[in-house]
This record gives sequence, C-alpha cells and structure tokens, in this order.
Amino acid sequence: MNPSHIGTIARLELTQRLRSAGWYVLLGCFALILLAVTAYSFVAYSYGDAMGAGVFSIVVNTVLLLVVLVSPTLSGNAINGDRDAATLAAVQVTAASTGDIMIGKLVAAVATGGAFLVVAVPFMAVSLIGGGAHPATLAVSLLVLAIEIIIVAAVGVGFSGLIARPLFSVAATYLVVAALTIGTLIAFGLGGAAFRTEITTQTRPYDSTGNVVCDRWDTYTSEMPRFDQVWWVLSANPFVVLADATPTSFDAYGYPQDMFGQIKFGVRSAQLPPSPYPQWDECHPNRPREEPPTAQEVIDSTVPSWFVGLGIQIVIAGSLFAGAWARTRTPARMLPPGTRVA
Amino acid sequence: MSGIVADGVSRSFGAVHAVRSASFRAEAGRVTGLVGPNGAGKTTLLLMLASLLAPDTGTVRIGDVDPMEDPLGARRMLGWMPDALGAWPSLTARETIVTTARLYSIERDAAHARAAELLALVGLSELADAPAKVLSRGQKQKLGLARALVHDPQVLLLDEPASGLDPDARVQLRVLLRRLAGEGRTVLISSHILSELEEVIDDAVFLVAGSVVDADPALAAARAWRIRLAGEATIADADRVAAALGMASGALDVDRNAMLVGFATEQAAAAGLRRIVEAGIDVTEFSPAQSALEHTFLNLPRSEPHA
Repeated sequence: MNPSHIGTIARLELTQRLRSAGWYVLLGCFALILLAVTAYSFVAYSYGDAMGAGVFSIVVNTVLLLVVLVSPTLSGNAINGDRDAATLAAVQVTAASTGDIMIGKLVAAVATGGAFLVVAVPFMAVSLIGGGAHPATLAVSLLVLAIEIIIVAAVGVGFSGLIARPLFSVAATYLVVAALTIGTLIAFGLGGAAFRTEITTQTRPYDSTGNVVCDRWDTYTSEMPRFDQVWWVLSANPFVVLADATPTSFDAYGYPQDMFGQIKFGVRSAQLPPSPYPQWDECHPNRPREEPPTAQEVIDSTVPSWFVGLGIQIVIAGSLFAGAWARTRTPARMLPPGTRVA
Repeated sequence: MSGIVADGVSRSFGAVHAVRSASFRAEAGRVTGLVGPNGAGKTTLLLMLASLLAPDTGTVRIGDVDPMEDPLGARRMLGWMPDALGAWPSLTARETIVTTARLYSIERDAAHARAAELLALVGLSELADAPAKVLSRGQKQKLGLARALVHDPQVLLLDEPASGLDPDARVQLRVLLRRLAGEGRTVLISSHILSELEEVIDDAVFLVAGSVVDADPALAAARAWRIRLAGEATIADADRVAAALGMASGALDVDRNAMLVGFATEQAAAAGLRRIVEAGIDVTEFSPAQSALEHTFLNLPRSEPHA
C-alpha cells in the first residue's frame, strides 16, 4: 500500500473523467433537479413552523437517490473497462500493487460521488437557513450520505473486477442498488403478508331496532400481517439507514417534523406486534380508552436499526470488493472468464 | 547477471495449452528474438515473464528474481511493451509517461525530466502535449516503448514493437535496441517482421504451438536461391542455367526477372554458382531468396495452431 501510488491512480481516473464534457452536463442536470426539488419543497412545507427541516430532508433524500442512481455507472466499469482498453496491465506491470490499484479506483469513484455531494451543499445550506433543521441532522445525514457513496462505489468496483463485460458489471451494480432500495421494500411487504396472525375483535351487537345489546359480545377474527417479524429486512435500505440514523425533532403532538422522522416512524412502527384495535364499549362510552402511542413514543420504545442496515451493506460491498481484489491480483492464476491480461 | 531464464514453463487457459514446457534463456547484453506463428504462445510467454500471469508449472527468473515470489522486485527490473498498447485516451503523451513514472515511485520532478528525455528519444517531442487518442498507431507504439523504458529497466520485453512503425522509425528502433543491449541490458523481442528481426537479434528462440523448438533441422533444410542475369531474363536464359546445373530443360521458371533454384546446403549453392559462371552466363545476383530467419521460420515443424 503506497499513498503516492493510490493518489496517482485516483488522479489518473479522475483526469480522464474531468476531461469529458458529459461529466459536466451530468453535474449541471443534477444541480437543476436539486434546484427544482428545493423550490417545490419550500412551497410544500410553507404551512409548518419547521420549514427548513422538511426541505432539508427532501433535498438530502433526493441527493441520496441521485447518488445511488449515478454512482453505478461511474464505478461499475473501473476495472473491466481498463481491461478492455488494455490499460490495466500497463498499471499492473508497474510498482503499483493490486491494493494500490483497487484503493485508487475506489477513491476515484468515491471522489466522483463526492462531487455530487459538493454540488448539493448549497441547497442543503439554503434549507438550513430556512430554519428548523438541527445542525446534528446536517452532520449525521452528510456522514450517512458519504458512507452510502462509499458502499455503492465499492459494489461497483467489486463487480467490475469480477465480471468481464462492463455492461454486465454496471447492470449488476444497479441490481444490487435496486435490491437494497426497492427489493427490501418488496421483501418486507411480501414477508409481512406471508406471516399472519389472528386477531380477535369484540363489538357489541345491535338488536333489530338498532339499539345496542349490552349483555353480550360479538367476536370477529381477522388475520393481520406480521411486519414485526420482517422489519429488519427494511433496515438495509439506504433511505431507511439515512432516516433512522438522523436525529428526529417532533412537533407539539409528538409527530416528526421532517421526512426522515416520518420514514423512521413508519419503519419503527413495523417493529411493534399487531395489537387488537382499541376496544370501544358502546355501553360504557365514558370509560377511558387506551390512546395509541404517539410517533415519538413509538420511536423511543423501539430498536434503532441503522447500524444493522449499514452492517449488511458493508458486508455485501466488502465481500464484492475483496473478491475483485483477489481476481485482479498478479501474477494471475485465475482470470475472470472471458478476459485476457493484455 | 540480469538475463531471463524460463525453465519448463507451461500455461493453459481451460482446455487450450498456450505454452507447453517452454525452456530458454536470454542473455544480458544480447537481443534475443522470440519467433513463432500466430497463436504460438508468444504473448502468453511474455506475460508470464512480465510477472502478470502465473505459470501452471515451471519457473521463470528475471535476473535473480522469481516474479512469482517477488513480483515487485521483478517489475522494478523489467520493462514491458504489450502488443496492443492501451493508452489512456485523454492523457497527453507527456502525462502518460509522467503517470507511469510516478507509479514506479519516481519523484515528480524526475518524472517530468524523464518524460522529456524519453519523448525525445522515441521522436515524439512535437506531440508531447497532444492527447493520446490523436496519435497514429505507430506513434502509439513509440509511446509504448517510451513507457516501457521509463524506470530504466535492465530487462526489456517487447511484444511486436515494430508493428505500425514507418521504415525510418524501424531503423531508429533497431539502433536503439542495439544500444540498449550494448549497455548490458537483456532484450527479448517478438516480431513477425523477420527480415527486420534478423537485422537486430543475436539469438533466436522459436516457439511453435507453445513449445520451444530446436531450429537446427529447419536451418539445415533446402533453401531457395535467387539467380538474376544481366538484362531481361527469358525462358532461354532459364534453360541455359538449368543446363549448367545439370537440370532438365524447362525445369526453371522466370519469376520477376529472376530464377529460383533450390540447394540443399550452402556448399551445393556455391558449387552451383561456380558451374553457372563457368558456363559463361552473366550472373549479377545470386542470393538466398529468404533471410535465414525467414527460412528457418517457414521450415519449422508445424502442428495444430493454438489460440
């Protein structure tokens, strides 16, 4: 491992990218989308007292969305693209080690993703100035964004070392990103619906004249999905990680003020086992009813899951990256099928 | 001592045996040619020597270093120029050399000085700041050579360095290779342009279907000699030569104003020349139709070509 070699390889990657016009067009489009999203979310949140928090969370979620959409194309052909262009062997034959090459490529991919983050900073700053967003929110969300960029970059570089054709490795990277963002939602929904539990509800019957009968109960059973058994599936979702890790501020009714908090509330609620609907006895209308917990109470009483999610993502990205590292090592014993060294 | 020694080196890709138990040595201070038909395994062999590919069996030594055990040690010693040069398309020629130098841990200032020196050496100074994608194939080859030389390697592995070069550049390459060998370096060069190769090499290693073959039998095979007479050659001239050599009339044809005659040995050729001269025929040219290397190459025992 040699910092100077890593720097040279990362600079080599970035120089080639910075000299293409397409890159600047992409950044320009990114800025335009963020501008539109920021403007519209200011309008959308203008009713509340914590406008900045809402706008901020929407801007950060948009940044995360665009970063996971763009990063695979920037990292997914790092190694096999060079193999195709016959420039990989030219680096491998120098004093740069396989580790230098792998880390250099990763640094370049992360720096590219980081450029999107830099473009997004003014928009985040505007929403902060708009008021309401907590500085801790800014720090945590920037940190999570940076980690997600590193994870997607590592997945991309990993696949590019394991799969011979750049097209397929980029597609595979997208599939992993899709599995994390959309696949976890589908698995969560299907899993919850597959595990069901019977819930019994009692109501007072009515007689033929429409008066309530107070000496017996009617009993209904229904099946409820058990999301509390599959809630952990959602934890690997990057948006959930972001929302779950970010500190939430609540309004006077214990309701989260920003989108992070709303997502967090939804995900945390899934941890609770289904309970019978609070029973309301028409014969005793004044008996105090059990109030459903507020969002704040739900969030405070359930388990934070973001580190589980990050752990799953780090294992996936790390093993792909390590596999690519082994495949890129020279002198090569095994080559990825369908490739040649030079 | 920084020669190359390959001992029983084999490498297969799946079912394809690219190199089979190849053994040879290339001495320091000499230029060794690696000659063989397409698909003979030359590039695979060079990749193993360049520490990029691991042999299945056998050992390689670059100087005192086994590239399998100490790839970094081998890489600091060897300069490799691949047959298909991948140039970073948006980098200039100068940046390409500087970047490579930096990857050999050469300091920034020294890297810039070295780049200027090497670009002048290969004749690319005028194009130093042009992006590599605008370079012609021959210019890219020159850039590849400059890149292979950046860390002043003691061992040079050149895969088809002359392809795409114009005649001027080929002569310069020849002079450069002789000079590098003269400085005590080991130069191993593969090429298909046998007449060019013959001008520059001291030794030749023949590779056929992945194996190193003994070239002596092929060298001893009958060679064709080109005989040209003064003036326009006619069928009558061909018959006169045939008669002088004791051959049947009509046995020789006129081809591009000359006749081709096969002689089994150099002695037989000398005797034939004497008989033609003694017969009073005005010979202006009597020379091997092919270079010795080409002759050997074309007479190598062929087996099934391998990919």
